[in-house]
Amino acid sequence: MSYLIDTKEGASYLVMGNEAIVRGALEAGVNVASGYPGTPSSEIIESFSKVAKERNLYVEWSVNEKVALEVAAAASFAQLRALCVMKQNGVNVASDFLLHLVGSGTRGGFVLVACDDPGALSSVNEGESRYFARLMEIPLLEPGTFQEAKEMTKWAFELSEELKQIVVVRSVTRLSHASGNITYGKLSDEARTAEFKFGGFVLDPDEGIVISAPVAWKHQQQQKKVEKAREIFEDSPFNTYEGPDRPELLLITSSACYLYSKEAINVLGVEDRVGLLKLGTTWPLPPKLMIKHLSQADKIMVVEEVLPFLEENVKILAAEKASEIGIKTFYGKNDGTIPMTGELNPDLVLAALSTVLGIDYTPVPEEYDQAAQTSAVSRAPAREQVFCPGCPHRASFFSIHNALEMDGRGGFVCGDIGCYTMAIGSTGFHSLKTLHSMGSGTGVASGFGKLGQFGMNQPILAVCGDSTFYHAVIPALVNAVHNKSDITLIVLDNSGTAMTGFQPHPGLDHNVLGEEVPSIDIARICEAIGARVEIRDPFDLEGTRETLNELIEDASGVKVLIMRKACALSPQRKNKKDYDVHVDQTLCVGEECGCGRLCTRIFGCPGLIWNEAQHKAEIDEVICVGCGVCTDICPQGAIKREEVA
Amino acid sequence: MEEKVFKRGQEELRRHVLETRLCTGCGACIDLCPYYKSYRGKTAVLFPCVIDEGRCFAYCPKVEVDLDGLSELLFGKPYDGNPLGSYQSIAAAQAGDRLKDIDSQAGGVVSALTYFALQKGYIDGAALTDRKGLLPVPRFVTDPEDALACSTSKYTAAPTLSAVNQAVKDGYKNIGLVGTPCQVLAAALMRSNPLNADDFVDPFGLVIGLFCTWAIDFRLFEPFLAERIEIGRIRKIDIPPPPSEILEVFGDNGTKLEISLNEIRELVPNGCSYCIDMTSEFSDLSVGVMEGRPDMNTLIVRTDRGKKIVEEAEKEGYLTLSAMPEENLEHLIWAAGNKKKRGLTKAQGEGMINTTDDETKAYLRMSVKVLERLTA
Repeated sequence: MSYLIDTKEGASYLVMGNEAIVRGALEAGVNVASGYPGTPSSEIIESFSKVAKERNLYVEWSVNEKVALEVAAAASFAQLRALCVMKQNGVNVASDFLLHLVGSGTRGGFVLVACDDPGALSSVNEGESRYFARLMEIPLLEPGTFQEAKEMTKWAFELSEELKQIVVVRSVTRLSHASGNITYGKLSDEARTAEFKFGGFVLDPDEGIVISAPVAWKHQQQQKKVEKAREIFEDSPFNTYEGPDRPELLLITSSACYLYSKEAINVLGVEDRVGLLKLGTTWPLPPKLMIKHLSQADKIMVVEEVLPFLEENVKILAAEKASEIGIKTFYGKNDGTIPMTGELNPDLVLAALSTVLGIDYTPVPEEYDQAAQTSAVSRAPAREQVFCPGCPHRASFFSIHNALEMDGRGGFVCGDIGCYTMAIGSTGFHSLKTLHSMGSGTGVASGFGKLGQFGMNQPILAVCGDSTFYHAVIPALVNAVHNKSDITLIVLDNSGTAMTGFQPHPGLDHNVLGEEVPSIDIARICEAIGARVEIRDPFDLEGTRETLNELIEDASGVKVLIMRKACALSPQRKNKKDYDVHVDQTLCVGEECGCGRLCTRIFGCPGLIWNEAQHKAEIDEVICVGCGVCTDICPQGAIKREEVA
Repeated sequence: MEEKVFKRGQEELRRHVLETRLCTGCGACIDLCPYYKSYRGKTAVLFPCVIDEGRCFAYCPKVEVDLDGLSELLFGKPYDGNPLGSYQSIAAAQAGDRLKDIDSQAGGVVSALTYFALQKGYIDGAALTDRKGLLPVPRFVTDPEDALACSTSKYTAAPTLSAVNQAVKDGYKNIGLVGTPCQVLAAALMRSNPLNADDFVDPFGLVIGLFCTWAIDFRLFEPFLAERIEIGRIRKIDIPPPPSEILEVFGDNGTKLEISLNEIRELVPNGCSYCIDMTSEFSDLSVGVMEGRPDMNTLIVRTDRGKKIVEEAEKEGYLTLSAMPEENLEHLIWAAGNKKKRGLTKAQGEGMINTTDDETKAYLRMSVKVLERLTA
C-alpha cells in the first residue's frame, strides 16, 4: 500500500510537493484526476494511479491538456470532485476550454493544479499560469510550504464547491520536486455518486444546462464569485504575517519565495526591521488584509519569480487605497530590485533586501567568487546535454543530418517538445532550426512548405515524438495535407512519453492504470489523412537515410517517416543488451585520415570513449547499453558487435 | 616567427573547391572517410574533419595540382602544354572481331580494352561508370562480362573514383579505371603518393581516359529531360561527333529525341569551364570519338604499359587499329588546344594558376614558360 493513503491521522511523512498535493486531494475525496505529462507536474497523476484501485479513483493521462481539463470537468458537472494537472504552458493549451468553463461554472469541487517552471529548468519557456487566474477571473492559491501544498489542495475543493467555480492551485518546480515533512489529516470516506442533472431551470447552476450563455448574465455571476472569494480570502489562514507591528520594510511574497525571503531576513538578522507578509491567496487579493499591512510600512518590496504579477496587483490596490494607506515606495521587478526572469534563490533575495535596507552585505568574497568562476570555466569538462547511450534519437538525427547535407539544398528541420528538442545542439547534429510548442514543428513546416511561390526551394522537414503526435500534431498534419504543403514529417516513435518518465499515450496498449486499451496506430492515421507513410528502424542507418532522401525528393505533398525504436530507458529495452560491443584496437585508426574520431568526436554516444594515451576509441562497458549502432558508423569496421544470446 | 601551417584538409577543400563550385563530382574524395558523400552528382560534406592534411585534398584534381610533378612521374618529363598531352602514338581504332557485337558507343574500344585487360589479368578489377536510371553510378567489376554492361557514355559526372577508393580499401592492387579527364587527373594524383606514405603502392594497373569537352550537371539535366521525355523510358543518350551539334536521346520504343547542344551547354557545371584537358592527358590510354566516323574511336597511347596492352589486344583480335587520318588529327589538336586555352585563360584571369597568395590555393601549377606560351 502506498504511504500516500496511510489512514493514520497525524502521521508524518517526508513527501515530494507533488505528493503533498495528491494527499490533499485524497483527504478532500477526489474522484477523478486527469492530466498531460510535463515537468514538474508529472508525478501527480502517477501518484494518483498508484492508489486508484484502493481509493476508487478514475485516473487518466489524456491526449493533451485541453482534453484533460474537459475530462475532469465532466466529473465536476456530475457532482464528483475532480483534479486536473498540467505544467505552465499546458494551461495555454487548455485555456480555450477554461475560458468557457469559467462562464458555465462548475458543480463538484474542481481544482486545476498548474505547475510552473520559473527559470525553465525543464522547459523551453517560463510561462506564467498565474496570469490565467486574473484573465479568467478565478481564484488562485499558491502554497509556500509542503504542508500548505496539502492543506491548500484540500481546501481548494471546498472553495470550488462553495463558489461553483474552478480553483487554481499553482506550484513551482522547487515545491513540486523538493521534499518536506507533512502531517496527514483524515482521508475522506465520502462515496459520491455521479449524475449529471440538466432537467431543471435552464439557468440553475446545479440542475440547468452547463453553458457560458447568456454571456453577460453568466459573466456577472462569475464576477460575483470573485467577490465572494475576495471576502473568504480576508480570513484565510494561508495568508500569514511575521515581524514587527510597524516594520521599516514590508516584504510581500508567495509560493517558494516565502522560504527564500524568510532565510534572507534571518541571514541579515533584520527580523526587527522587516515584516514578512506571505500570501497564499494571491488572486483576488483580500483588500482589508492588504490595507492593514500596507498601512504599517512606507517601503514595500514584492518578492516573486518571473513576472510582476503580485507586484502589479498590490500596486493597483495601493493606488486605489492611497488615501487610506498613504504614499508608498515600491521595490520589486519594475525598479529592477528583483530580476524579471529566471528563478529566485535566497542569495538573490539577500542581495535585494540588503540594497533596500542599505546593509553592506557580500554573499561571497569577490576573490573567492572569481576563483570559483575561473575554475569552473578552465577545469570542468564541457558537459552538453546529450541523448542517452543507445538512444534512437541520436541515430535518427544522424540520418536526418546526413540526408539533408547530401541533398544539399539547404533543407532544415522544424522541431518541438520532447527529448528530441536537444537536437538543436551537437547531440542531434544541430538539426533543429525552429523550436516552439507541442506540435508546432509540423504547423510551422506546413507554412514553410507553401512558400515555393516566393522562391523558397529548401526541403522542409518536421519532427515530433509519438506522444506529441497525438497531442497537437494531427491538426497540423491535416492542415499540411489539405493545403498541399510539401513537407516531410518524421515521427520519432520511441513507444512512450519518454522525456517525462514513460507515461503511456494513445499509441500504447495499456493505460496509466495498467489496463489493456486500444492503441491508436500513427501510420494508419497519417495514411487516412492522406500522407505517404514509410516506417523505418532508425538503427538501420543507411536504409533510413536512403528513405529520407527519397521522401525529401518526392515533391508530391506530405510524406511521413515513422522512425520506430523504443527508448533505451523504456521498460522493454532497459537493462537488455542486444549486443556485446568492443573496439578492435588494431583496426581503429583514431585521429588518422580515414576517420578523424567520428565515433567520439561526432557521433558522441556516451558509451564510446576516447583513450587519450592510446589514441584509440574504446567502449565504456558500464555505460554502453549494447544497441550496436556504432558498429555501422565506424568507417574501419573496428567496432565489433556480437549478438547477446 | 610562427611558421604558417599550410593546411591541406577538409576545410581548405570546402573553401577552395566546393564553395567556389569547382567540384565536378569525380569521387576522388569519396569513400576515404565518413565525411564526404556523393549524392545525385554533388559532393556533400557531412561533418567537419579536423585533420590538417588529408587525402581528400591531396587527390582533388581541382586544387594544387602540380602538372610538372605529375608529368615527370608518368612520362619522365615536365609538363609542356601540348594540346593532346604526352603520347607515343595515335591511331584510329575499333573493337576487334572477338567483341564486335557489344552495345557501346562509337568504336567500342573502351569496352574492348577493359574486357581484354580483365580477361588477361592486367588488372584485377575495374572502376567503371554504370547507370541507375539516368543517374551515373560508380561500379567496380572483376568479371569481364560485367564490364560490358557499363559501356555507353553517361555525359553527367559520376563519383567513379569512389569505387577506386573502396577497391583500395578492399585490397585490390591492380585496378583499372575508365574515367574523364578530371577523374584521370585525380587518379594521377593518387599514383603520385601525395602524402608521402611509407607503404605506398600505385594501385592502378591501367588508366583509360575518355575525351571530354564538358559534362552535364545531373541535377539540372534530370528535370530538363523530364520535361521532354519520360525518364524511365530512356535507353541511351549520345552526342554524335561534330559537326552534328546535337544530343540524342533514344527511347525504349525506338523514338529519338534531338536536343541542340546550345541548350545543353546551359547545364554544364561551373567546374568544367576551367578544365584545360580534353583528352585525359594523364592516362595510360585515351579514347574518344572520331569526327565524321561514328563507328570509330581515336586511341592515344601514352605509356609503355598502355602500349603493351594495346599491342596484345590487337594481336588477339580484341582491337583493330588503322592510321589516324591527318585531317582528323589536325582537328583534334585544334579542338583540344582551344579547350586548353579557354580554360586556362579563365582560370588565370581569376588568379587560380600558380597562386602565391597565402589565403587562396592554386587550381593548377605549371612552369611560367609554358603558361606564358599557352596564354599568349
